[in-house]
Amino acid sequence: MSSPSYESELVRAGARAEGLFGRSVHFVRLYPLGAAGAVIMTVFVLAAVFAELITANGPLATNASRSLAAPGADYWLGADVMGRDLYSRIVYGARISLAVGIGSTVLGCLLGVVIGLASGYLGGWFDLVTQRIMDILQALPLLVLALVFAAALGPSLQNTIIAISIPLIPTVARVIRSNTLALREQAFVEAANAIGMSEWRIAARHILPNTVAPLIVLATAQFAAAILTEASLSFLGLGIPEPHPSWGRMLSESAAEYMRRAPWLVIFPGLAISLVVFGINLLGDALRDMLDPRQRG
Amino acid sequence: MFLPWKSEARLGAYLVRRSALMLLTLFGISVIIFVLLRIVPGNIVDILFDTAGMIDPADKARIERDLGIDLPLPQQYFVWISGFFSGNLGYSYVSEKLVVAEIALRIPVTLKLAILALFFTVALGVPLGVISAVRQDTAIDYTLRVVSLSGLSLPSFWLALLILMAFVSWFGMIPIYTDTPDSIWDEILLLAVPAAAVGFRSSSLVMRLTRSAMLEVLRQDYIRTARAKGATRNSVNYRHALRNALLPVVTVLGIEAAFLIGGLIVTETVFNIPGVARFLVEAIRSRDYPIVQNLVMMIAVVVVLVNFAVDMLYATLDPRIKYTD
Amino acid sequence: MLSPTRLLLAATMLFASAVAVPIAQAQEPKSGGILRVQQRDNPGSASIHEGATVSVNAPFMGVYNNLVMFDTKNDRDRMDAIVPELATEWSWSADGKALTFKLRSGVKWHDGKPFTSADVKCTMDMLKGQGENKLRINPRRAWYSNVQETVTNGDFEVTFKMGWAQPSLLGMLASGYSPMYPCHVSAASMRTKPIGTGPFRFVEFKQNEIIRLARNPDYWKPGRPYLDGIEMPIITTRATAMLAFIAGRVDMTFPTEVSPPILADVKSQAPESICHMGPTNVSVNLIINRDKAPFDNPDLRRAMALTIDRKAFNDILYNGTGSLGAAMLPAPEGVWGMPQSILQTIAGYGPDVAKNRAEARALMEKHGYGPNKRLSMKVATRNIQVYRDPAVILIDHLREIYVDGELEIVETAAWHSKIARKDYAVGLNLTGNGIDDPDQNFFENYACNSERNVTGYCNKPLEEMFVKQSQETDIEKRKQMVWEIDRQLQEDLARPIIVHTVGGTCWHPTVIGFNPAVNAIYNRYRYDDVWLNR
Repeated sequence: MSSPSYESELVRAGARAEGLFGRSVHFVRLYPLGAAGAVIMTVFVLAAVFAELITANGPLATNASRSLAAPGADYWLGADVMGRDLYSRIVYGARISLAVGIGSTVLGCLLGVVIGLASGYLGGWFDLVTQRIMDILQALPLLVLALVFAAALGPSLQNTIIAISIPLIPTVARVIRSNTLALREQAFVEAANAIGMSEWRIAARHILPNTVAPLIVLATAQFAAAILTEASLSFLGLGIPEPHPSWGRMLSESAAEYMRRAPWLVIFPGLAISLVVFGINLLGDALRDMLDPRQRG
Repeated sequence: MFLPWKSEARLGAYLVRRSALMLLTLFGISVIIFVLLRIVPGNIVDILFDTAGMIDPADKARIERDLGIDLPLPQQYFVWISGFFSGNLGYSYVSEKLVVAEIALRIPVTLKLAILALFFTVALGVPLGVISAVRQDTAIDYTLRVVSLSGLSLPSFWLALLILMAFVSWFGMIPIYTDTPDSIWDEILLLAVPAAAVGFRSSSLVMRLTRSAMLEVLRQDYIRTARAKGATRNSVNYRHALRNALLPVVTVLGIEAAFLIGGLIVTETVFNIPGVARFLVEAIRSRDYPIVQNLVMMIAVVVVLVNFAVDMLYATLDPRIKYTD
Repeated sequence: MLSPTRLLLAATMLFASAVAVPIAQAQEPKSGGILRVQQRDNPGSASIHEGATVSVNAPFMGVYNNLVMFDTKNDRDRMDAIVPELATEWSWSADGKALTFKLRSGVKWHDGKPFTSADVKCTMDMLKGQGENKLRINPRRAWYSNVQETVTNGDFEVTFKMGWAQPSLLGMLASGYSPMYPCHVSAASMRTKPIGTGPFRFVEFKQNEIIRLARNPDYWKPGRPYLDGIEMPIITTRATAMLAFIAGRVDMTFPTEVSPPILADVKSQAPESICHMGPTNVSVNLIINRDKAPFDNPDLRRAMALTIDRKAFNDILYNGTGSLGAAMLPAPEGVWGMPQSILQTIAGYGPDVAKNRAEARALMEKHGYGPNKRLSMKVATRNIQVYRDPAVILIDHLREIYVDGELEIVETAAWHSKIARKDYAVGLNLTGNGIDDPDQNFFENYACNSERNVTGYCNKPLEEMFVKQSQETDIEKRKQMVWEIDRQLQEDLARPIIVHTVGGTCWHPTVIGFNPAVNAIYNRYRYDDVWLNR
């Protein structure tokens, strides 16, 4: 986090913000909402990683006698119709959401960066062709495209990640491309060119680091979009299949049918999705304010 | 109305180039959707046999021949595309009725839902965004920002389910579609609830963008100049600033057109509305190629045209834009 | 298995139906009104002969008539309680190989043309794949494999000539799956604009939206139907559908759509509604691929059969209200279900689950599997809840015998092809039976050349027994033969039956005259005796 604006803010504030701790404290003071978002995200990630340690029952163990049990001592958030512990399923579901979110965001951003960099830097016919392809992918709404891909590939964790990552590519490619175009004209690039640096090295060494800031902001937005899209796909039955505990699928048929008797089946998974996306958005807002103050608002 | 183009020729050239690009994009989409549908495992014949609970290879081959899906792929594509231009979109595999008829039947209700949702979006999003910007960094601002952020974080189908649950629990009625309502007012009332569910998310987005656009504009020099000249606070806010803040909002409304379709899909499913969005999901599930292909093309056309309209609107609103690229 | 819960449920149902039916009949039926029944999914086509699920029968049975029908006054479809519809009387030849029907005169198709014996011949020829009118899909060709010829004698008499004497043919003709089609309408047209002789005329079918039928003023039964029409809004989200029922937007849920947990919910929210829960004659079963590892090994097959805890399936899926049995629907609702004494001797059906699993583990260990060497395989099933839930439980049970099953969800469009290609190890399957009859069940699902015999199970000597029992007129003797066939099918793991499902229907008390059967779900939707008390 070494963009000029943040440093200057620090200096202006006169803060003795050395080291990670000092910077963190300063971050919290400056962006309280963002800090809250970071906390939420940390809880989410820790829950996903340490799922085994913080749950007693497994997410897949069925138990007929406790079907639709209300929240209580043994099942903290209640049980579903097959007697599976909802709390366990939500914690393990964090793993699924994290996997899908990270997987599709990384995949989408990686491909988007490569395409955007190449497109912006090389220009010419390559730019023309890829821009048209990006146009095509962007002409369709995210969910529609993801739906078709999910239906085409079949329901599985990997296929869902792929299906969601593809519609994310054009947005990333666009942003990276416009940044690249802007930076291409800068002096240091011309200098590098003059001394004979190869195209790829210039792109990687000089241009890419300066696109990181908007990329991070964009990635957080894409991460949120990925999680929501997976939830919608699973809700429609085309996303993560049984028995993976996907929050979105938990909200579909089997929960909604019992929502009068067992409202916890509808409330808690939905709350989980909303909280996580909320946290990402808070964090993303703060990151944007910090890294790209031109967009501050 | 002042248009920025130096000459008619410039505008003409731009329109020609733009149209060519749009056509190219649409052509690309048609190829992609066509190919994607065919790599999906299983076709309509498999679905037909599903209701029979078995598969008979001889019958299957015969039906595939009748439907023309045993032809080589490029030929099938050509048949579809040439039919497109002559207005013949083919027959639905499932209902055996004309695709045009099936889709046209469902457009009106989706259109009404979309318009209501957009109305909700603008009516809620723009004023709240303005208030949030004008009262920046106050309690109201923070509250509104948190509310709009939650609007973006809630899965729309969850919101829809909760709304349904609330209606049945508190009012003992369920605002779902089971029959065409008697009057237009009944229909609007019925659609108001799902429109609110869809619109909540969009209005959050519009609120945030309006806010940031307003803030951007409020910082501008000419606003400060106007203030320095003694214009009252209100007139500064609402006359100069709003007009210029509308620009990105208009852009967003264009993007929202696409976003809305996603929200419509799940909302129509939960509220049982017989619109095109839900129809798309059904058709994908039942491998009804003619419906899916043509519906996706129509959605693409709508999105492309809306983007074009937004760009044109943008041009007329912002005197600084010139079309040189 | 006759658990106390099931006994209580059966007793309650019998009591309720004994009390409710006379009470309802005590009132005078009122004419008029539109019945609104939820339709759970889009049937695709309106042609009953091309469908094999209750999704086609429930909405469209009102459009047609059969030659004969099961008497709907009974709580079950009974072979000795078959009443006339388009046929007024029938008789068997001396050798039992010919069944002659005398047909009703003065009956008109919905387009005004008269109904004659030619239409019966056209229908049967179509079902056998002969004649010019061809069905696009023909799921029940196997039902009529024994009919060799259809002969008309004048306009109002028709005879079916069979290869062997088959009493069950009458039952098949009485099922909801056996409407009469007109000669003068193509099979394709029947999918979109069905023409029948039934109490209701087809009005419209808006795909994914609504199905509408209207009263047939020229119906041959005087004074019927009572209803002015039937509307079936298609509500595919079950949660939304139940809410719609509770809020009064529909008069009746889709038949069998209400599961035991939902029933409790509905009754608590709409306590005045009347609900019927009973067997559906749909079984959850396994299809096993014997041509491919690992189940080309009979020991491993047997181990899988032994590890299944059927009671657990019943408890989790149906709150214990389902029934455990072999291929034929178990007693008391089913006539041909084998007694417990025989059932419990079959591997895997014995109540001592621990002992069964110990035996299963021994079999696995014999082939080198153990806690440290586990067998990995895929359990294929369809992407529908009633398939997925049992599959999840199955995988849980397989863990007990060192098998790590991975769920392979297959989309509807890909399912049948995948099974036909034998591209699976084991599949979790559901099988519905149109009527409670051994001929229907055995010939349709286990005969060598039947299309619905999805595993390709072929046992010629056993098939000869199918034919033998089909000709037996003494019920008790026939039962013995049926039990023996059923036992062999289970021992052979042709299609191991896990549990027989239950399903419920709920309707508001204004709906009178709807009487679901407890041994089949495909036959009670003529709606010509139903009326609305409002």
